[in-house]
Amino acid sequence: MLKLEHVTKYYGDFKAVDDLSFTVDDGEIFGLLGVNGAGKTTTFRMILNLLEATDGTITLNDEPINYSMSDEIGYLPEERSLLTKLTVYDQAIYFGALKGMTNKEIIARLDELLNKFEVTDYKYKKIKELSKGNQQKIQFIMAILNKPKLLILDEPFSGLDPLNIELFKKEIRELSSQGSMIIFSSHRMDHVELFCKKLVILKQGRAVISGELAKIKADYRKKNIRIRGNVDTKELAKIKYVEEVLSIGDEIMVKITSNKGIEPVFTYISKQSNITKFVVEEPTLDEIFMSVVGES
Amino acid sequence: MNLRRSKLNFLIGASLKRKIKTKWFLIAQIVLLVLICAMINLESIIGLFGGDFNKPTKLYIVDETDISADTLTEAIKLNTNNLYGEDNESYDIIISDKTLDETRDIVNEDGGIIINVIPSDDNIIKANLISKTTIDTYDYGIIYNSLNNLKTLLTLDELGITGDDYNKLNKEIEVNREVIDSNATTEEENTEMIVTTVFPIFILPFFVLSIILIQMIGAEVNDEKTTKAMEIIISNVSPTTHFTAKIIAGNLFVIAQAILLVIYAVIALGLHHILGDVTTIHALSDTVVNTIRTVTTGELGDKLIYILPLTLILMFLTFIAYSLVAGILASMTTTTEDFQQVQTPIVIISLLGYYLAMMASMFKGALFIKILAFVPFISAILAPSLLVLGQINIVGIIGSILIMIITILLMMKYGIKIYKAGLLNYSGTGLWKKMFKAIKS
Repeated sequence: MLKLEHVTKYYGDFKAVDDLSFTVDDGEIFGLLGVNGAGKTTTFRMILNLLEATDGTITLNDEPINYSMSDEIGYLPEERSLLTKLTVYDQAIYFGALKGMTNKEIIARLDELLNKFEVTDYKYKKIKELSKGNQQKIQFIMAILNKPKLLILDEPFSGLDPLNIELFKKEIRELSSQGSMIIFSSHRMDHVELFCKKLVILKQGRAVISGELAKIKADYRKKNIRIRGNVDTKELAKIKYVEEVLSIGDEIMVKITSNKGIEPVFTYISKQSNITKFVVEEPTLDEIFMSVVGES
Repeated sequence: MNLRRSKLNFLIGASLKRKIKTKWFLIAQIVLLVLICAMINLESIIGLFGGDFNKPTKLYIVDETDISADTLTEAIKLNTNNLYGEDNESYDIIISDKTLDETRDIVNEDGGIIINVIPSDDNIIKANLISKTTIDTYDYGIIYNSLNNLKTLLTLDELGITGDDYNKLNKEIEVNREVIDSNATTEEENTEMIVTTVFPIFILPFFVLSIILIQMIGAEVNDEKTTKAMEIIISNVSPTTHFTAKIIAGNLFVIAQAILLVIYAVIALGLHHILGDVTTIHALSDTVVNTIRTVTTGELGDKLIYILPLTLILMFLTFIAYSLVAGILASMTTTTEDFQQVQTPIVIISLLGYYLAMMASMFKGALFIKILAFVPFISAILAPSLLVLGQINIVGIIGSILIMIITILLMMKYGIKIYKAGLLNYSGTGLWKKMFKAIKS
């Protein structure tokens, strides 16, 4: 289990991470979200031992994070982080050896992953000769070469087409099912919703939302009500707790600021004619995120 | 600990492999071998292509004084031997029994130089030099000096002074030297010559190798940093391990390159031995051989027992210091261009030591130069030079070595902090502030 307890990081006078705590269990996919500069990369770097926390503790299986654990960790940085002058093979040997793997283990695992990601032809090609998407595939392969117990993925789907995103998702799920802890960061909330059961949303280094995704959604005051029928949207907008009324196709979406708004909306609708749909939906993660961080 | 050591070994091996296992390394070594062989065997190469340089120049003496021909012949031989050595065959001297006009026709057809010696009332003799084309400066110099010698001999003969008397007159005075200060060398002239000949043999490779070292470490750190691969590397090994690997790999490479340069020089000298002297040109290899002979014989040869190891230790320590500086600077810079800019002053520091070593023989005992012999980086070249010149003693060079060791230890202590902070810094703003903060932390 990865455990962060009251972790704080200062850069000079600037507080990059403020009293952050969360845990990631074995086999769990955890979302670390936030706008640019919210403190995600700093948190990743502290977990990876690249930076020292100013305060608080980070433990992996109850042991403080240190370099002896690096063989069990995989890291996919947001930006391309490959030695582009090397071939894919040489790069794998390089990073694999740094993970304490033998050449035989590296080559076997590399062949397996190249085959899985359908890039076997690139084994002896220089990384700089590959397209952006293929470089991202290679970078992902390097991150999971050692079958990590803890995998940190910073924007893993960047530069990938939908087909390759599916390949990545499949592999991430497989690693999770094998017991790997996966910390996941993405600006694509639909991806996070799909994977993560638990998450933290950071704003200016502080965790503004933290916990299980289902509970976060359930507890979230704002809801959406979808209605199909003959309804006067202007009248709907006048109801207390109604924030916004939108016409989407043949449906109307009513955004309410509190659960207390469900009943008056239902009362109003029940008096209208030809109503064929009335569904109260939980907000999307995207909506929660935008609402919490105040930015899209 | 074993794991850390094996990762360190891997990083050292990977750095060396990245440098050596390229076609460009092979090409560079071939070019170096060819160039060194060519430099040392230049005279053989020139000889191979042929030319007029081996053909003796014909000198026709047309003597109108009737007493000058033999003496002039001897004078020319003496002057030629002094310049080119005993075995030279630079001139074919012919005492012409033909008239001037007939000899002129021969020269017009076959080439050569006519030395027409004519009696003179006011200057004993005068001469006309006749040639088809221009006369080489060396040839002119020898003929001119020989004619002056002839004039002197003719004058002495007139005065009744014999050749033996003349030789005694010209013989150099034997001077025996005694130096009271036992630390000062009695072979001052030799040592000064050494500073201008031997040290370029040491200094030039040292200078080239230090540039290779700085560029190798700087380029690697810079490459890993700019490609952001550094983040992955540093997440697996500590910055200290990474830094240590770079320094060891860089220095191993430089040592290997130095050994290769020595091997190339030995091959080139071997080739020279096989090819032999083809021409009368004063060859580079002769300079090398003579220099080695001068250094290894006499009083200086005895001193080499401690001068050479101390010089090599100081140079090796300076290489380590250069590696530390290169690594630290590369970690601070964010682009390859930035690193190339900052490496310029490092190279100039190295050059400063070289120039000061040259000046040390001109400004004997200069306190300023002596002090600079203890300054790290400059000391690598300057301290051994002053030791050879006798301007500092063995304690002095050991002092330079100790100061270098202290500098290295300080750089390791504080440099690693800068290195750690610099590796993950991608912004140029407030760079020095960040680095000073890192040192304080």
